[in-house]
Amino acid sequence: MDSIPLFQLQILSAILFAIGFGTVLIRRNLFFVLMGVELMLNAANLSFLAWSRVQSGASTLEGQVAPLFSIAIAAAEACVGLAMLLAVFRSRESLDTDAFSRMKG
Amino acid sequence: MMGQVYFGIFAAVAVFCALSVMFSRHPINGAMALIGTMVSLAGIYSLIASPFLATIQILVYAGAIMMLVVFVIMVLNSAKEHTIPVVDGMGPLGLLSAASLGALFIRVFVGLDDKASVKMNPQAPRGDVEAISQTLFGSGTHTGGWALLFLAIGLVLLTAIVGAVLLAKRHLDTPIAQTEGGH
Repeated sequence: MDSIPLFQLQILSAILFAIGFGTVLIRRNLFFVLMGVELMLNAANLSFLAWSRVQSGASTLEGQVAPLFSIAIAAAEACVGLAMLLAVFRSRESLDTDAFSRMKG
Repeated sequence: MMGQVYFGIFAAVAVFCALSVMFSRHPINGAMALIGTMVSLAGIYSLIASPFLATIQILVYAGAIMMLVVFVIMVLNSAKEHTIPVVDGMGPLGLLSAASLGALFIRVFVGLDDKASVKMNPQAPRGDVEAISQTLFGSGTHTGGWALLFLAIGLVLLTAIVGAVLLAKRHLDTPIAQTEGGH
């Protein structure tokens, strides 16, 4: 099979990570903050997979096993994060991050 | 050659969908765009010979996790969400720092000295189900203790489920049966 250059994959991964990071930073709706985190996890998985194609010699598939664990952790994170979002919505009736400023000094 | 074309298409769709996650107004639109990003990433995974990860990406990420997100968005579907501004006064600063982070990453990759020595290895094994399961559970010399981690992930998921149920309950002291009864 013809291979895609490693650096294009890494640059795509960097762009996606930066977009996810920006989503976490600039959005005020809590749902978008969670989605930005998911986007960053996806970008990291893409980077793992791209590097796993680089290994030489007695190459193992460990670069392709690590994203499996990352996906499982992402599932746990989404589960707990959404439950926290539900609990926080009940106490404040809002999803705006500016509404959760009780701990501000 | 065709792989390069497909990669271009998938990468363009992924970046476009990610940008529309960043700037869409309603969370449902954002979730749909995020699913688009995940599906095109799955396409890229299968282009770089990882069909198992591509399947898992679609099944678990685009299927299960995003289904959960969409479900909670619909449970909390309140009109008040539309009054939250997409970007506020700190928006330009956040965009600037995200852009500089991306530029830093790209600068690292572009500025590598011995770029020629880091190449895709065409002989790298294909990540199908058999090869992945050999790495995960095999008893050869190359197992890095992944089977133990696999068991630990089960514990993590169990803890997450219990934590989520506890967090999402209305009051911590009411039994579940009462909460479901609509009290």
